[in-house]
Amino acid sequence: MNKNPEITRRDFLKLASKAVLTAAGLLGLGGLFRFLDTQTEPSPQTDFDLGLPAKYPLGSRTVLADVPALLVHSLGGFSALSLVCTHLGCTVESQVDGFACPCHGSRFDLKGNVSRGPAGKPLNSLKTAITSDGNLHLYTS
Amino acid sequence: MRRYFLLAASLALLLALLFVAWYEKLHPKPVPLTPTLTGQVEYCLTCHSDLAQISNSHPVQTFGCVLCHSGEPLALDANLAHSTMRGGSNPSDFSVVQASCGSDKCHSGTPESYSNHIQRATTSIQATYAGAIANIMFTFGVQPDLTARLGIFSVQVPGSTSGITALAAFDPAQETNPYVKAFGQNCLTCHLSAQPMPGSVYFRFTGCAACHTPTQSADRTSTQQLQSSQIHKLTTSISYTQCDTCHNRGNYDLRSITFTPRQDLPIDRLHDYYQPIAQFTSCEWMLDCVDCHTRTEAMGDGNLYSSKLDIQYIQCKTCHGTLTELPQTRPLTDPNDLAFRLALINPVVDLKLGDTILVTGKNEPLWNTCVLPDGIYQLVGKATGEVFPFKPVMGSACTQNGTDQTSAYCHTCHSVTR
Repeated sequence: MNKNPEITRRDFLKLASKAVLTAAGLLGLGGLFRFLDTQTEPSPQTDFDLGLPAKYPLGSRTVLADVPALLVHSLGGFSALSLVCTHLGCTVESQVDGFACPCHGSRFDLKGNVSRGPAGKPLNSLKTAITSDGNLHLYTS
Repeated sequence: MRRYFLLAASLALLLALLFVAWYEKLHPKPVPLTPTLTGQVEYCLTCHSDLAQISNSHPVQTFGCVLCHSGEPLALDANLAHSTMRGGSNPSDFSVVQASCGSDKCHSGTPESYSNHIQRATTSIQATYAGAIANIMFTFGVQPDLTARLGIFSVQVPGSTSGITALAAFDPAQETNPYVKAFGQNCLTCHLSAQPMPGSVYFRFTGCAACHTPTQSADRTSTQQLQSSQIHKLTTSISYTQCDTCHNRGNYDLRSITFTPRQDLPIDRLHDYYQPIAQFTSCEWMLDCVDCHTRTEAMGDGNLYSSKLDIQYIQCKTCHGTLTELPQTRPLTDPNDLAFRLALINPVVDLKLGDTILVTGKNEPLWNTCVLPDGIYQLVGKATGEVFPFKPVMGSACTQNGTDQTSAYCHTCHSVTR
């Protein structure tokens, strides 16, 4: 019996082929998984979880920059106004007496009605609701 | 032999996969942007995130890049991404401007909404060059009068109130008159579709960007040389140096039918503004061209004209009045007054309801002026922000004949010596 077996050229070639094939297979599988896992760009978010309603005390007007929207808590409950200008879609800025579009100068009063063009339509009202988890949600569509 | 072949094939497969992985690594991770106006994702910011926003009126989050520039929005290879861009780096070139800057919400709306910019600009005398062409045709006996018949491109304005409803395309190759032919070869470098002449002082883009994209420093003493790829800006704050990429750079010689560039190269404003032979007043060189010449004068009013004299109407009395009349003014009582919109785009003044501004004879707002409480007037430079107080002629020692408003007449007493 050979106590110090030397690897034969045939075995080496077999082993090397298997190793290379395994590496190529793993690389190929990785590429395949990456391909199958590719995500298309996600659709724009339309449901925003604003957390507990208590974060927004009565009388507050909170600008939600990532929506963008203005959340108003009045005696009538929660309401929200889109801060997307109805002219071309720029984000309007909240001011003391209403909203101003920095792009083309449209102005809106505190209720979102147009007070100066070129915008022709009022700012959109957005739906709010308190869901079963107790959180306040805002919906942009 | 079979073993060697198997090993070689396995190695080739592995190397091919490694090459693909390496090639993938070369591409940057895409940076997505979904502009509000299009709602379609685009990857332009992957490479262009360092590009300055073109103007406050065109925020990238709202407009993105593709709406104006076109191109392949999802391509990460520069050549592919840029392969279908409109107008190369200049989507405002008149050959593509309608597709780039048009739509009724943007710049091809109605006169009533002050958004018919493309219709006005493409029919303006600076675009059609109809005045220069008509002058040459008349001078060399090709047409019987100075009425424009030809333009750089054919254009129709069926309802034109100027009496000219259409221009045919001027084609120098078809001209038999040698002077007109030479004019076509040597003198068509300064209309809005023409590529500029070689030389940094002539450097400008075409189309809207010829005026609204600053390729010239406002200060000739600046050593900064702008490269076209670095300029991503649209503005109504237009320095005289931008206007001078075409104007005041030399003269057309009717004997040789060539353009003769001015030879002096001054870097100070007083000597640079106008050619050495020109006569002018203080306000003509201290202000910028756009401080007096209105949007209608520069960009036209949508009608076709035979000469710039038919569209330019600002006179000294527009701001200074005459001995018997104060300049026309208008209190700003309507929040939709055009003056507010123009002032918003170039906020060198903070106009408010109740302010009184000067207006032209055609009721165009000179929105960068105001009437001060003590009865004198003030103009703020649109390009410099500099404040210029000025007084009316009425009550002054001026002995003018108020009906003569030619520049030569006023220059008799008020020209600047340099």
